[in-house]
Amino acid sequence: MAHIPDGVLSNPVLVAGAIVSTVGVAFGLKGLDPVRVPRVAVLSAVLFVASLIHLPAGLASVHLLLGGLAGIVLGWSVFPAMLVALVLQAVLFGFGGLVVLGVNTMDMAVPALLAGLLFRLAWRDGSPRRAAILGGLAGGGGVLLTAVMVACMLGLSGREFETAARLVVVAHVPVMAVEAVFTAAAVSLLARVKPEMLARAS
Amino acid sequence: MIKTLALLLVLLLLAHPAQAHKLKVFASAEGAAISGLVYFSGGAKAMGVSGVVQGPDGAEVGRFATAEDGSFRFPVNVRMDHLIMVDAGDGHVASALVAADEFPASLPPTSLPQVAASARSAPTVASVAAAADMDAVEAAVARQIRPLRQQLDAYEEKVRLHDLLGGIGTIFGLFGIVAWLNARGRTS
Repeated sequence: MAHIPDGVLSNPVLVAGAIVSTVGVAFGLKGLDPVRVPRVAVLSAVLFVASLIHLPAGLASVHLLLGGLAGIVLGWSVFPAMLVALVLQAVLFGFGGLVVLGVNTMDMAVPALLAGLLFRLAWRDGSPRRAAILGGLAGGGGVLLTAVMVACMLGLSGREFETAARLVVVAHVPVMAVEAVFTAAAVSLLARVKPEMLARAS
Repeated sequence: MIKTLALLLVLLLLAHPAQAHKLKVFASAEGAAISGLVYFSGGAKAMGVSGVVQGPDGAEVGRFATAEDGSFRFPVNVRMDHLIMVDAGDGHVASALVAADEFPASLPPTSLPQVAASARSAPTVASVAAAADMDAVEAAVARQIRPLRQQLDAYEEKVRLHDLLGGIGTIFGLFGIVAWLNARGRTS
């Protein structure tokens, strides 16, 4: 969920997260083509809403993170988009603390960015079927990496890493499944109707 | 594939907007005890979560773990502020304060019960009976209003549609400003 509240993480981890996120946001804004600003806004709004809506998945109820999809469409701009979404979630709903915004942004945006980069590297031929498979992998893998990063942040802050990792990763298994299906569907649709949205990222 | 997407969209629309996982703890005094509930916003109960109870000076008073329905009960010996902090182990923490004046007046007010007890004059039979009555009334009232307080506590956390729309509007406004600044830079 990458909604770590205030008072959980240690100061070095907070500072490191803030630095990584600041660099990411600076990069994202620097390379942002004005024509693409509306796209970032839409994806930011999607990220903001996605983790507030719960879907039934077997016994548990899960919410999507949509980091993979955002990373594929936005590239580096996923950092500012994620930051804005997380700020609003923290301010409006109290999900996640304000001091940990840097870490939360990093936990969400770094996997998203990696998923996007790998997707673009692997998706050369432009076929929608391949895009769907890669999109599913990017979506599920993004969630997994986010969960692992959250567990690492908790471990680095002096909590027992194994317990945290088990709890966080197990909680995210249904999310990974739903997210993989959703991202695959969305990416395959984009590959057919608007492939230029996937091809290039600033 | 479009079918799947459509299905997911329908599910998204049907799902009630609520509850990103945030841990919540509700605690109130019930006679000479703290009883409470640990849950995730949205209503799912958090079972087996460990908690720590602290006094006003930050010293640990005791520990507890929640039962299967997320509830816990902690006996109180001293009439003082109790801070309850719970930790689900996966980065979710929450805390709640039970103020001293929620507890019955018959409890000793400091953490030195022996001194307090000996300093007091020997209670008469009548005053003991009155105090017992008072405690019974307080416990009954606390029990009656507890569901109400609990409901209020959960209601506060509910994600409402207007909050969602406000957030979306803010996002578009923000990026609108970015676009506007960009456009201004290009024309001048």
